[in-house]
Amino acid sequence: MHPEPDLSGAAPVTPDAVGTLSDDAMISVRNMSKLYGDFVALDRLNFDVQRGEKIVVLGPSGSGKSTLIRTFNRIEPHDSGSILIDGTLIDDKTNLTQLRCMVGMVFQNYNLFPHLSVVDNCTLAPQLVRSLSRKEAKDMALHFLQQVGIPEQANKYPIQLSGGQQQRVAIARALCMQPEVMLFDEPTAALDPEAITGVVSIMNTLAEQGITTLCVTHEMAFSRHIADKIIFMDRGRILEITPPEEFFTTPQTERAQNFLNQMIRY
Amino acid sequence: MPSSPWLSGSSHPEPPFIAPTPASRVSVGTLAAAGNSFLRQHFSGVGRFRLRKPLHHIRTACLLAFGLLMAGPSVVHAQTAQTDVPSFAQNGTLTVCTNPTLPPMTFVKGSDASKPEGMDIDVARALAERWHATLSIIPMDFTGLFPSLGAQRCGMVISGIIQLPDREKNFDAVAYQDTALTVVARANTAPINSMADLSGKTIAVQSGTSYASRINRENEALTAAGKLPIIIQQYPTEDQVVQQVLIGRVFAFVSQDVELYFRQKQLHGKVRIILKPDYSDYRHFAIYLRKNAQDRTLVQNAISTLEQDGTLTAYRQKWSISSQTEQALTQDNSAPAFNWGAFFSALTSMAFLRGAFITLAVALLSHAIAIVISIPMAITLNGRGNSLLKAVLKTYVSVFRGAPTLLQLLFIWNALPQFFPIFREQWFTPFLATLVALSINESAYQVEINRSALSAVDGGQELAADALGMSRRQVYRYVIFPQALRIALPPTINDFISLLKTTSLASVISLQELLAITQVQVARTFEFTEYYAAALVYYLAMVFFFLFLQKRVERRFSWADRKKASANAS
Repeated sequence: MHPEPDLSGAAPVTPDAVGTLSDDAMISVRNMSKLYGDFVALDRLNFDVQRGEKIVVLGPSGSGKSTLIRTFNRIEPHDSGSILIDGTLIDDKTNLTQLRCMVGMVFQNYNLFPHLSVVDNCTLAPQLVRSLSRKEAKDMALHFLQQVGIPEQANKYPIQLSGGQQQRVAIARALCMQPEVMLFDEPTAALDPEAITGVVSIMNTLAEQGITTLCVTHEMAFSRHIADKIIFMDRGRILEITPPEEFFTTPQTERAQNFLNQMIRY
Repeated sequence: MPSSPWLSGSSHPEPPFIAPTPASRVSVGTLAAAGNSFLRQHFSGVGRFRLRKPLHHIRTACLLAFGLLMAGPSVVHAQTAQTDVPSFAQNGTLTVCTNPTLPPMTFVKGSDASKPEGMDIDVARALAERWHATLSIIPMDFTGLFPSLGAQRCGMVISGIIQLPDREKNFDAVAYQDTALTVVARANTAPINSMADLSGKTIAVQSGTSYASRINRENEALTAAGKLPIIIQQYPTEDQVVQQVLIGRVFAFVSQDVELYFRQKQLHGKVRIILKPDYSDYRHFAIYLRKNAQDRTLVQNAISTLEQDGTLTAYRQKWSISSQTEQALTQDNSAPAFNWGAFFSALTSMAFLRGAFITLAVALLSHAIAIVISIPMAITLNGRGNSLLKAVLKTYVSVFRGAPTLLQLLFIWNALPQFFPIFREQWFTPFLATLVALSINESAYQVEINRSALSAVDGGQELAADALGMSRRQVYRYVIFPQALRIALPPTINDFISLLKTTSLASVISLQELLAITQVQVARTFEFTEYYAAALVYYLAMVFFFLFLQKRVERRFSWADRKKASANAS
């Protein structure tokens, strides 16, 4: 179903081993690296994400999970290798506006605009970037606020909402751009258990609607039951790409086994 | 300084001379000259003021040689005789600098501070008429008079200034009015016999005048004789000098008798002359001009003519300048009560309203300019890495935050024309100069406010806006600036209020803002408490308005406060 990734780590990567970029995949990554000065944040990564696939990226802190998904909307530009999103090569010449209309993102700390009401948070970018009229943007915002279950909060300011409510607004704000790919960067890490349940159920709904999803999370319910694949990362490398049932029962690498043991303990 | 070194030592009474055109007379300022200009603010009469362009000497020499060869001295002489207009008035305008706080020589009689009157102004008008020139009066601080003359901002200075050898080292002087030094005390003070009787007492003089150095010579004698010296206090305007005596802070002040004749009427006999020391070198008021033998002769001739045809005598009568007007001093020491009438008439006068308007306009405009130029500076300074541009901006901020605002004003007004002659032209008004100085000064402070406000906006905001596909401009315009504005606004309004009051410094470069108006009015009437109070009311009214505005604007930022946001929503 998915091409064999290069799991050999330090082994030299030949063009054959990397293979060609996949035009059919939603996201196709080949030999992609990202450096911060001398520090290798992402080390020659290779994988494809098919249309409608739900991927969970797991790994310890500092393994490069967030950096990886941020290369897909070029908030963190990669330094070498190639990324293809919906058949378009991502590099210096990419139209960032178009890319970011297609790839939505939700952050751990919500990053709502505090000076705008909930509905204005959702309508700002569609009006500015997608040139929707105020009315079109508002109708769409109310539609998605309905979908995330907080239509009654539309006219409040972010500071008046709970963390869970704010994260729902952030999801609605991203959906208002009508993206084909959603990137979640630890969306539940700052939430209490009750709020987590609400946000995860929204993510489930989105998954059912067939939107391609990449999610950095430690949330087991989503990882186990919704994800099509788990990508396990450590020190900037991908160590495993497997379906969740395999990953959680028979992890291939010792590093993944240790990581799972730590997770289960909590 | 003569126009040409060949003329300075000439034995000819009227040496052959081709009057240089104003353009060829442009002197080139150097750093030394600029520095000198500052020294002169406080130590007038020291050092050479202008440095001449060497090229000019060569050109003058060539012209002279050419004239001698081709036509002979007599023809050149004949050409010169045709024009009796001094070089500084040849363009049809006679520009005169004056400090209108010395009645009856030069002072503001009415409510329009830009129109001084007095003996000096009448003399200037008569000269302008004689030279078929339009008279343009520039009122300014006393300390600014000689630097402005040096900077060619005016053709001559006429401001009741004593003719002194020290001053004639740098400028030419033409006497037009006799005067005598007087020591003045409160009306009930007994006369004294000599300056030595002032030993150990405090006297007030106007700063920038020569009185202080003259009294220091007395002090040398006193110290040598083992006596206490006279203590000197210096004040920027003549009216403040008189005030010190009226309120009893100092024993006496030093002034000129002509002024006293006028002041006695004004002060209703509250002061009296207690001594007229016989200083041989303090006997004439003089018109000062830049060194130019030809110009000096022409002005001298003009004054002689005005004296002979009775014009000056008529002026003296008009302004009560004669020893006959020295009245018997009456003991009219009625307690100074607050004159509510004067206070309210000042409060409602056009002069004060105009002054307040200029204060407000210069503060608003310069702060607006400061904000506009400081935003890109703040964004650059907040950027990553170290660039040359950043180093330059950091230096800019340090220099303009470090230097006193008053010094920056004086630099731009008096020193800049020495580097760039374009700044001595008429378009460069005191208003414009103040605007430039205060904009630059304020921007250095505003950069810091903007920088900290921009840094205080959470980095996640930019990230989220980027992820939504907004352009750089949109990210700043719709996401970062509105949030930074809330943080920057209270310190910005704070700075503005401070700036509003800083504008009062511009009175030294003759901007007719609120405080300058107040001082001119005080010099006219001596009702200083009333006028100060009126000025205070204006300043407070303006400040309170902006404080009120600040409150209103802060209410708009309720999104930052959970309680306020809830209150607004409900």
